[in-house]
Amino acid sequence: MKHKLPTLGMVCPFPLIEAQKAMDELPSGDELVIDFDCTQATESLPRWAAEAGHIVTNYEQLDDASWTITIQKK
Amino acid sequence: MTQMILTGLLCGALLGFVIQRGRFCLTGGFRDMYIAKDNRMLYALLIAIAIQSVGVYALIETGVIEYSAGQIPWVATIIGAYVFGIGIVLAGGCATGTWYRAGEGLIGSWIALAGYMLMSAVMKTGALKPVNSSLKDTAVTNNSIPDTFGLNVWLFIALLVVITLFFVIRTLRKPKVKIPSLPPKRQGLAHLLFEKRWHPFFTAILVGLIAILAWPLSEATGRNSGLGITTPSANVLQYLVTGDDSKYINWGVFLVLGILLGSFIAAKASREFRFRVPDAKTAVSSFFGGILMGFGASWAGGCTIGNGLVQTAMMTWQGWIALAFMILGTWTASYFMFVRPRARAAKQRAATLQATTA
Repeated sequence: MKHKLPTLGMVCPFPLIEAQKAMDELPSGDELVIDFDCTQATESLPRWAAEAGHIVTNYEQLDDASWTITIQKK
Repeated sequence: MTQMILTGLLCGALLGFVIQRGRFCLTGGFRDMYIAKDNRMLYALLIAIAIQSVGVYALIETGVIEYSAGQIPWVATIIGAYVFGIGIVLAGGCATGTWYRAGEGLIGSWIALAGYMLMSAVMKTGALKPVNSSLKDTAVTNNSIPDTFGLNVWLFIALLVVITLFFVIRTLRKPKVKIPSLPPKRQGLAHLLFEKRWHPFFTAILVGLIAILAWPLSEATGRNSGLGITTPSANVLQYLVTGDDSKYINWGVFLVLGILLGSFIAAKASREFRFRVPDAKTAVSSFFGGILMGFGASWAGGCTIGNGLVQTAMMTWQGWIALAFMILGTWTASYFMFVRPRARAAKQRAATLQATTA
């Protein structure tokens, strides 16, 4: 199942903090779609996902300073 | 004057470009030492300090620049750095971080910057000048670490280089996790400059070199100092409201304006510039963060750059003491903003789960 987490307008480190919080609530195998516009999160989100062992199923830049990443819970 | 404008803007633009592309966020780095048990950014900072230390003391030895460590007001440095550390977490970035995020189009950072400039000016030449100076006369001693021990400064620099190398090598030897990256859309130089992820240690080397460059450029215009953010940020506002250019216009002013310019160029070319408006909560917290930053940095005599990067490289007590208490400040704020709320949520979840299964 896919869950949407809008973090537009949030500054570093809140997209990551909110993503971690949301991930805590999800069952294994579910996906979290995070839309974000905080530049620093282009580094912190994929890094956290990789280090926590989750799988990044999609990661792309949508527009100027606008990105989306989909992380599947391990 | 022309020289001051050109070299100041150039040095600032280089710094702004490099920290934007390298995502050189010290606030995030200090915070992650605590909440993610990740010391990478601290080691990156050590690299920048060590490079600058070697370079600047070589310039001092050869007589290119002059430097005197002066005195340190202990109480003001400790309290100021701690308050500054709390402020940068609320503001979502340190002083330099706020300048470069402002260049990325983050309105929240403009708000933080406004609070920061305002409070710095209030502390330096405004209503709170007596508060600022009162603590600065308390517990004042010699600032130079080598002088305190009666040893040569190079001994301390060598020690710093060895410690830095130890942590850097240990970090680089750790087994790597593959970090997913965006699919590349550009090639060659454009890819390297405006797309590729920069390793924090690589960015740190560039920051260290720019910090060295700042010294001779700044001294050539009569400002005997290296990179600095707080006083120049206050100077911008002080000049704007008094019109007194002889007092408030200096190399540092163009340096901070250059950071904004460099980060804007980097962000624009990387498709990372856009005006982004924060929600009310973030806006308020950014403003108060900026106020605390201005208050703290004025007392401590510097920010993450002035104290954390430059004074540390000069081997002063002020630099290292301020760095330690700044980090403690970020940890304190991180506990209340991130650690405690998450622990509470986890507890609540466990309680709900128990209630449904019982």
